[in-house]
Amino acid sequence: MKTTVPASPTDQLEADQDIISRVLQGNRDAFSVLITRYSDPLYRHALGMTGSPDVAEDILQMSFIKAYQHLAEVRGRFDAWVFRIVANGCKDWLKNIRRTHLSYDEDDQPSGYSTPDEELDRTELRSDLDKALLTLAPSLREAFVMKHVEGRSYEEMADLLGTTVGALKMRVHRAREALQALLEEKYA
Amino acid sequence: MLDNLNTRDGSGDAGRERPRRASEQQQPLVDREVPLGGTATSEMINRWLDGEGPEPVGMNADTARQVDLWRRIEEESERRRRMVTPAHVKAQIMAALPTELPQMALPWWKKSIQVSPVVALAAAAGLVALGAAIGTSLRIR
Repeated sequence: MKTTVPASPTDQLEADQDIISRVLQGNRDAFSVLITRYSDPLYRHALGMTGSPDVAEDILQMSFIKAYQHLAEVRGRFDAWVFRIVANGCKDWLKNIRRTHLSYDEDDQPSGYSTPDEELDRTELRSDLDKALLTLAPSLREAFVMKHVEGRSYEEMADLLGTTVGALKMRVHRAREALQALLEEKYA
Repeated sequence: MLDNLNTRDGSGDAGRERPRRASEQQQPLVDREVPLGGTATSEMINRWLDGEGPEPVGMNADTARQVDLWRRIEEESERRRRMVTPAHVKAQIMAALPTELPQMALPWWKKSIQVSPVVALAAAAGLVALGAAIGTSLRIR
């Protein structure tokens, strides 16, 4: 089964439409191609927004199930459509829950650091960054996560969020300003 | 000297600070209307972080520390950027998908509706009453 991401946006759109048609015609397993193709950036978004791997997994699962149930309603890009489902899921979670402490507990990713001191320092920054991110308003947090954690361009962000590049730059700059104010006393 | 034009608190007293409401104190830092003070990220650093300018060099100690902080945050962001969905999640999603196939979207006029006998009787009675009311009003004119 083909799982690679197509070269151009047009190819991608056509490839996704092809898979969607196959699913709608009864090939349920074809949906796994879409999951494989798009789950990583969506997972990173949910993880960046919620700060919790378990919650991110839940949001991802619920979003893909919702996407499957409403697959016939997809108009245009599937990736942008499913991103909006995940982004709304994250915002709903942030609205509904009040948590005092969140952190990335899983640490099975390769760190690339060599000494225990560096590792300790990095873990501390990671935890402090998570706490600082939680103090941001959801729209600023979303913009910061998309820009820094997901590495998206402002144009791509504007396309996905349906807003302007200027507005997003402002949100990212304000998020940086707030994060710097919170972190520089300890780290700068 | 500038006049204090902010009379929203009704005091008109420039020397006295309006006590902050509890709701204001609970707002996230960045949602407040007042600008954040003290540690504004410089335009130069924002341009660097946006990929629109080079990494700032040869600046004062404060800016150098800010650059160092952002370099460390970028390292952490880079690590997060490499994160992938845990392997079990994809299988979990496929297993949780409903067994029935997604329905084709039908326009509303093609969708079937289910009406219980009670609702149908109530709707019919409502229509008869409406018709009678219209008929009566026409006869009066």
